Amino acid sequence: MRLLVVEDERDLAETLRRTLEEEAFAVDLADDGEEGLFKIRELPYDAVILDLMLPRLDGWSVLQAARAGGVRTPVLLLTARDAIEERVRGLNLGADDYLVKPFALAELVARVRAMIRRAYGNPATRVQIGEITIDTAARQAWRAGAPVELTAREFAILELLTRSRGSVVARSAIHEHIYNEQADILSNVVDVHIAALRRKLGPDVIRTRRGEGYIIDA
Amino acid sequence: MLSSLRARLLLWYTLILAGVIAIFAGTVSYLFWSSLVADVDEGLRASAAALVEGLQPTASGDFDLVLPPEYRQVDAAPPSQTYYAVWNREGELVDRSGVDFAIPPPRGPLTRTRDGRRELAVRAAGDAIVLVGRDLADVRSDVLAFAGTAAAGGVLALALSLVGGWFLVGRALAPIGRISQAAAAMSGGDLTARIAVERTENELEQVALALNAAFDRLHLALDNERRFTADASHELRTPLATLSAEIEWGLSRERSSEEYRRCLETARRAADRMRRVVERLLTLARADSAALSLQRAAVGLAPVVGDALAIVRPLADQKHVTIETHLDAATVVGDRDRLTDLVTNLCSNAIQYNRNGGQVSVEVWPDGTEACLRVRDTGTGIAPDDLPRVFDRFYRADRARSADSGGAGLGLAIAKWIVEAHGGRIACQSTAGQGTEVLVRLPRLV
Repeated sequence: MRLLVVEDERDLAETLRRTLEEEAFAVDLADDGEEGLFKIRELPYDAVILDLMLPRLDGWSVLQAARAGGVRTPVLLLTARDAIEERVRGLNLGADDYLVKPFALAELVARVRAMIRRAYGNPATRVQIGEITIDTAARQAWRAGAPVELTAREFAILELLTRSRGSVVARSAIHEHIYNEQADILSNVVDVHIAALRRKLGPDVIRTRRGEGYIIDA
Repeated sequence: MLSSLRARLLLWYTLILAGVIAIFAGTVSYLFWSSLVADVDEGLRASAAALVEGLQPTASGDFDLVLPPEYRQVDAAPPSQTYYAVWNREGELVDRSGVDFAIPPPRGPLTRTRDGRRELAVRAAGDAIVLVGRDLADVRSDVLAFAGTAAAGGVLALALSLVGGWFLVGRALAPIGRISQAAAAMSGGDLTARIAVERTENELEQVALALNAAFDRLHLALDNERRFTADASHELRTPLATLSAEIEWGLSRERSSEEYRRCLETARRAADRMRRVVERLLTLARADSAALSLQRAAVGLAPVVGDALAIVRPLADQKHVTIETHLDAATVVGDRDRLTDLVTNLCSNAIQYNRNGGQVSVEVWPDGTEACLRVRDTGTGIAPDDLPRVFDRFYRADRARSADSGGAGLGLAIAKWIVEAHGGRIACQSTAGQGTEVLVRLPRLV
């Protein structure tokens, strides 16, 4: 799952990036509102963490412009002010959630995950695919009740395919969702991860649509 | 309270009006009575004259009395019938009408009202005294009827004016109702509540206008207070968020010593920023409570600028900003440390909000009784809309400035306080895209 963090406080942005990467998200950063808006519009993020007080373009304007431009990515607002009107204004402009600084990292991660689950239309954390069980909150998969050891990237790909269950996900889309903008990775890494997933979960869970991408059947 | 005010006004109004009507009706009734009695007197005088004419003294000292016709039928006389009595010189009763009440003899000519009767006595030939009298019952009942009508009219007028008064007082007091409604809404927390003012010039509308103006100022003051609190909370929460997130990250699992070092460095930066904000807030709070005292000594501005530049030089080098100075001798009376803070604040602003490779110029010169200090930069400038507010606490024309400066928008507020505490003035001019100039004028020690 790929996230954008728009935060002008560099130390905080850096801490968020490290934390979220350890939670197996691919994370991009933006320093100001304009850069944030550009990235939100151009890149397929699974969620955006947006500070309200930003240089050049404030968080509300970014949100408004993004929603006006048809961007449906879930947005979590961060605010250092506790005025209720500011949060209400943010939510009314199309934000999905908010947190008041200072916040607990664990809560931020849980809220981002919940937001992504809702955005994909299935708020449950546990999904069953044949004999495979996936728990997106615990980041754990089981095959016929036995735990399967997956790397963070493998789990991210499995999660993405599970969320898009029944539709084909292009190889480039998978790439965009599990690597951030700094990644410069050979294009066959996705195939390598898919092969590893098939080895661990069984050959029939993820199917290849030649020339299109991968799919987990509904 | 309102209804009682209305009731009290009406009560007083009614009492006064009732008094006026009573006096008026009483006076008119009395005048009516007097005029009726004057008519009666006129009649009595005519009767007396007729009697006197008919009274002939005889040689024996007696009288012959020829009665006018109206006295001849003795029976069935109406109460308004005139009666008479005649006394001779010795005061002996000569003749009288057949009435059944005593008539005390008068000592001379007179007009009197006795036992509800009007009596007139005149002197006739031979020093006889002739008295005519008449019962006033009909006059009394006429006057009573008149007074009754007047009283009824008065009561009606009073009732009408009560209704009118109730309405008028209500109208006059209506603004008080609106005022108290607005004041209640205001104290209930609705700061936008204002009194609806009708464009009349009456006193209550003036009160309403004055109150509205007071409400406006209160609203503004509360807004400023609220914004100050929100800004203070923002400036403290932001580094606190960094600090707590960083600590949570560091503790979430075992880290390498390199990671711990980075973690602690981030925490220190956040703590430093909080410390700076808190220090500046405390400076302003102490300035507000006048708990901060200034040293008073002769201070040369040029050495103060030198001290300040030594502090901001590393910041200037970092941004490749060159600093030019033109320092003439100018001495003021004040606190050297505070003045150094002032120049440091102005210069670090000029550097931070400058473009990379820009210039800052600092000038000091004496101008009459004042010492002038000017700091100019070649930065992005400040929009005209923002200029009046640059000295407000936490005000930052561009949020872009918040990221690295750590000043929290308090620098210019503190600068303004220092200048004013020294009895000086500070002003800011700016041309967007060309730069900003801050001019400080302090009283000069000549």
